[in-house]
Amino acid sequence: MLKDITLGQFFPGNSFLHKLDPRMKLILTLLYIVTIFFANNLITVAILTLAAFLLVPLGRIPMKTVLKSLKPLRWIILFTTVLNLFWVKDGKQLVDFYFIDIYSGGIVYAASMALRVTALLAGTTLLLSYTTSPIALTDGIEQMLSPLKKIKVPVHEFAMMMTIALRFIPTLIEETDKIMSAQKARGADFETGSLLSRAKALIPIFIPLFVSAIRRADDLATAMECRCYHGGAGRTRMNRLHYSLRDLFALLLILLFMAGIIALRWAPLPAFLGI
Amino acid sequence: MKLELKNLSYTYSGDTTFARQAVDDLSATIREGSITGIIGHTGSGKSTLVQMMNGLLTPSSGEVLLDGVNIFSDKKTLRDARFKVGLVFQYPEYQLFEETVAKDIGYGPKNQKLSPEEIATRTLEAADFVGLDRELLGKSPFDLSGGQKRRVAIAGVMAMRPPILILDEPASGLDPVGREEIFGGLLRYRDQTGATIIIVSHSMEDMARYAEDIMVMSDSRLLLSGSRDEIFKNADLLCSIGLDVPEVTHLVNELRRRGYELPDNLYTVAGAEAALRALKAKLQREGAGKC
Ligand SMILES: Nc1ncnc2c1ncn2[C@@H]1O[C@H](COP(=O)(O)OP(=O)(O)OP(=O)(O)O)[C@@H](O)[C@H]1O
Ligand SMILES: [Mg+2]
Repeated sequence: MLKDITLGQFFPGNSFLHKLDPRMKLILTLLYIVTIFFANNLITVAILTLAAFLLVPLGRIPMKTVLKSLKPLRWIILFTTVLNLFWVKDGKQLVDFYFIDIYSGGIVYAASMALRVTALLAGTTLLLSYTTSPIALTDGIEQMLSPLKKIKVPVHEFAMMMTIALRFIPTLIEETDKIMSAQKARGADFETGSLLSRAKALIPIFIPLFVSAIRRADDLATAMECRCYHGGAGRTRMNRLHYSLRDLFALLLILLFMAGIIALRWAPLPAFLGI
Repeated sequence: MKLELKNLSYTYSGDTTFARQAVDDLSATIREGSITGIIGHTGSGKSTLVQMMNGLLTPSSGEVLLDGVNIFSDKKTLRDARFKVGLVFQYPEYQLFEETVAKDIGYGPKNQKLSPEEIATRTLEAADFVGLDRELLGKSPFDLSGGQKRRVAIAGVMAMRPPILILDEPASGLDPVGREEIFGGLLRYRDQTGATIIIVSHSMEDMARYAEDIMVMSDSRLLLSGSRDEIFKNADLLCSIGLDVPEVTHLVNELRRRGYELPDNLYTVAGAEAALRALKAKLQREGAGKC
């Protein structure tokens, strides 16, 4: 059912990762992604993947959940692996069986590609989605982009819109579910029939959904105005973000890590590991 | 049509850490042609239970038998069950979508593939049952008041003429007159079609007035079931699970405790009033005799 879709899969908690400043986490994620692109051989991507998984205990996220979130990757990995295996013709030839030629380069390439994608997804979800509440994240983005206010970009308004949207996604999902059930009880059929009739069957869902979304938006706007909300100008915050020693420590750590990975680019490695 | 529930259980988000059992091993038989009330505190699993009765939720285990046939046995039976067991959701006014009230009421019958003439007669009939002005039929459902929308939504399910009609909190948020009209409409529907009606409600007063049989749910389980008189005799048990008996029953019980001779099955204001008048007349007669 729709309820099973987890959007913004935030795990509330109190771990090291949870306590980092969201702005710092955005920076760290960016640096981590850059590092992934610096990694140019099997050893470095393996280290990167390992590093991503070291974040699991740091964020106290169940390993099972993390592995589950990586599941959708299996098709991408399968696809690229097959491509790499059969089309890369570097290194030693290992298999020569009629039309199947497999070279060592293909294997290395396929493995490092798989590791790279895994590292990318695991690292970013652990740093951002799992351990940062969506509200904290938009807050972080707003503050990081606030210099743009000088050139009249409505940063606060965008952030507020995003916060509201995130807040109402679960509500809307729940509501869609309810309306769908109600229409099913009146004999609506979403599963059979031609594409056109199925599309038509969605009308009884979308109209009530839009009506209630608009009603909700209207109510919310009134409620906000009643509390004198008038945009970002002159607005102060109850929870101010501030960097702590922890953030500095995390930054130093990732910078060191980055330097290490970059250094490994030029390390004398056995040729077959290069990509 | 006979509705039986056999060892029904339902668990939300089954195999995750958020699993929550909402209905636990519940068995019951709903008497044909009765008005059966389901009461229970918030979160006791009432809405979950009624959604299994018409197959919207598939039980984790157990069966729902309609005239002896398990509605989950195959796809066609399941779809038929949706028409045989009509379900009106909690706050049904949010499901309206058509341009006119008449079209909205006709949506269910249209899905039943009935002829346009039949749809038209059923629409009128259903509107009459719930006491909806015929003038409103041409209006947009979004221009109606909350109470009127509620009636349109109930009529939308009645128009499918289900032999079993379930309503989840049909009268919540309505004023006393609105409540009475809705329940009156349900009684008329039952009397004319011989349907079974199941009403989920928090209001003991409504239950006392309209329900003949009552099922009491507590913490996902069926705690009690039986006729209204049998259930309301258990005032202490009902209070212990956070429910109550009608206010007037408390009054009558208090009077009985103080030695007035009143029957122990008074749950409605009208009934209590009659009994009190009778008692007063009797006391006056006795008083007159003494002088
Ligand atoms: N979609 C859902 N996902 C997970 N848990 C749910 C869901 N719907 C209900 N529950 C849980 O199942 C339990 C039973 O809910 P249900 O809606 O059946 O209660 P209810 O008796 O109808 O309550 P109310 O009188 O408030 O309407 C509740 O504890 C609720 O938290
Ligand atoms: Mg409910």
